[in-house]
Amino acid sequence: MKSEIIEDSPLITLVGPPNSGKTTLFNYLSGKNYKTVNYPGATVEYSISKLQKKFNFEANILDSPGIISLVPNSPDEKVTIDSLYSHPRFGIPDLVILTIDASQLSRHLLLAKQLLDSNFKIIIALTMTDLLQRKGYNISTSELGKELKCDVIKIDGRTGNGIEQLVKSIELNLEKIKALGNNLPKQIHNNFNVEYLLSSFNDFELIEKKVTSKILIEQKQINLNKANRQLKVLNNDLVKNNYLDTTTLKIDNILLHKIWGIIIFFIIMAITFTSIFWLARPLMNIVDTSFGFLSFSVHNFLGINWFSDFVSNGIINGTGAVLIFVPQILILFLILGLLEDTGYLARGAMLVDKPLSKIGLNGRSFVPMLSGFACAIPAILSTRTIPNKRERLLTIFIIPLMSCSARLPVYALLLAFLFPAKESWVAGLALASIYILSIISSTVMASIINKFKNKIINAEDNSSFILELPAYRLPKFSVVLSNSYHSAKIYFKKAGPIILILSSLIWFFTYFPNYNPKINSSNLSQEKVIQLQNSERLSSSYAADLGRFIQPVMTPIGMDWRVGVSLISAFAAREVFVSSLALIFKVTDSEHKLQSSILSEMRKAKIEGTNKFLFTPATITGLIIFFVFALQCISTLAVSRKETGSWRIPIIQFFLFTFIAYLFTFLTVNGLRAIGIN
Amino acid sequence: MKTAAELKFGETGIIHEIDKSHPSSRRILEVGFTPGQEIELLNTSIFNDPIAFSVRGSIIAVRKSEANCIKIL
Repeated sequence: MKSEIIEDSPLITLVGPPNSGKTTLFNYLSGKNYKTVNYPGATVEYSISKLQKKFNFEANILDSPGIISLVPNSPDEKVTIDSLYSHPRFGIPDLVILTIDASQLSRHLLLAKQLLDSNFKIIIALTMTDLLQRKGYNISTSELGKELKCDVIKIDGRTGNGIEQLVKSIELNLEKIKALGNNLPKQIHNNFNVEYLLSSFNDFELIEKKVTSKILIEQKQINLNKANRQLKVLNNDLVKNNYLDTTTLKIDNILLHKIWGIIIFFIIMAITFTSIFWLARPLMNIVDTSFGFLSFSVHNFLGINWFSDFVSNGIINGTGAVLIFVPQILILFLILGLLEDTGYLARGAMLVDKPLSKIGLNGRSFVPMLSGFACAIPAILSTRTIPNKRERLLTIFIIPLMSCSARLPVYALLLAFLFPAKESWVAGLALASIYILSIISSTVMASIINKFKNKIINAEDNSSFILELPAYRLPKFSVVLSNSYHSAKIYFKKAGPIILILSSLIWFFTYFPNYNPKINSSNLSQEKVIQLQNSERLSSSYAADLGRFIQPVMTPIGMDWRVGVSLISAFAAREVFVSSLALIFKVTDSEHKLQSSILSEMRKAKIEGTNKFLFTPATITGLIIFFVFALQCISTLAVSRKETGSWRIPIIQFFLFTFIAYLFTFLTVNGLRAIGIN
Repeated sequence: MKTAAELKFGETGIIHEIDKSHPSSRRILEVGFTPGQEIELLNTSIFNDPIAFSVRGSIIAVRKSEANCIKIL
């Protein structure tokens, strides 16, 4: 990030109401393909960039979450507003660019007035003027500029028309400010009371009347006729832009229908989660085969020594076992992006608000919970859009129970053990049940915590759900695609090093100190000797020592130290469980496919010191249950600490979820055994 | 006087005033529900709550308990 900023150059902050084209403008100015969002409140962190080189002068541009007023209603709005008065790192903006949707002029002028009243230097970027024209109106930027006493520039978000003028105006304004000195903004929140709002909106209606003019019928007759067919005229007292997009109204009549709306909602959710499994399958096979082959070739090339083992088993197989779920993460991000871009997510939030409010959550918890299926970290960050503190903390509390994508490789492996490849549809069904279980457990948890709300989460304020439902639009597929690519990349930049370090560590602990065990090799084939050496080396390794130490905890749930070590290493990141199993069971290159070799080693494994199989349907199901509940992710705990403001909630989460996981695993394994399933 | 929460599906009304004692009244005003504006009840969610209104050319979903502070003529 630091390299993106030029010290000592002016700071320009972009603000605007949600869906006013703010992020699109940021993309034009910064030249980066940043996210344009259609779900109100999806930008939860700042984006900062310098102005594109082609504009020939230096400035930093800050993009922040959308706001509709300078009085914050939720933490994400507070982030933006605080940054306006003084950003913790970049100080007070020299200039503020405010994006205003021309077709929503009277609503969006509120922010302009508040900014001007607070003494900010602003330029207004007027967007969606084409939409206003389709409604039959022209808007005069010079008139609006005169009314507000600031520059107003029309911007076309699709073509980028107007960007040059905007940059020109930025340059002129900055020069003027430099010459005259910038007045410090005043924090006058208390002045923005109800009377202020009422009189402001009266002014805005007058301004709107002054600056908009009806397009002459003769000129625009054909267009107007077309427009009247497309738009629903609510109020014939023109001037007011009380038109709605009829297509949106028609779609809403179905998607928000009391019966169909719910059915479609469930179908959309079902498609989302099944496609994670089905669409990713062939891609996962490719990753699997190529890493298996790579490991095999490297091992053959380097010969039989510790270095060769480190590279092929420690690094290649360790990474491969995790990279195998890249396709699944990518597909999940892709679908979430598509749903967000069309405008459906806001409707989804509206549909589930009532049921969620029953268990102490909010309709706005919907998007964080849904993102929780990809990764808990962005999910916890996005809870900042929830205005009510108690609802926000409760949402953060249960997010680790949503089945995140890091659990997928674990489930994929365990389900593949339970169900042979021929019956992959059963595995798909089982995966769906795991997701349903994760939803049920999180809602039950929420309602229980909600009952004890004052003991665990002590905060109470007004519960509220006021959300704009944006007009439906076709998602820009290329943007969604590049967004999911970026999300997956950022995710792996974070997870990648940890995975590599841990794979190396686990390899070290399973390989040393007795790395060259003596085996009585008389009358044995070379292959047999290697196999005996492997198991001898492992059972006298550091990992085995640690494992035997925790053995008493593992015995009641029917597992031995090797699973214990894998579970401990999975605390760094859940997906490490798979690579750790691969290492501990010394999956080498008997076959070219990684997953199937882990499976065949698992099928052979016996509980140490006994003749009983370690992995049985009962213990595998137990492991799945463990992963459903356990909070095995250090990053999640760290983010939870940051967002809740203390260690209290993450510590409760950690111990509670781990205890529940162990308890249910114990009950599952022993329950299944009691009814004869071993 | 009835409130916006009592509007029927597809029914329109003109806002008379906003109940300032309601904790959400400021946000209700900020999103554009001001006296004199015409609103229409466009959609209701499952269990009839939240409900979506058209106001000033956009669609805003609010909870019934919050729509109660919007008084209709």
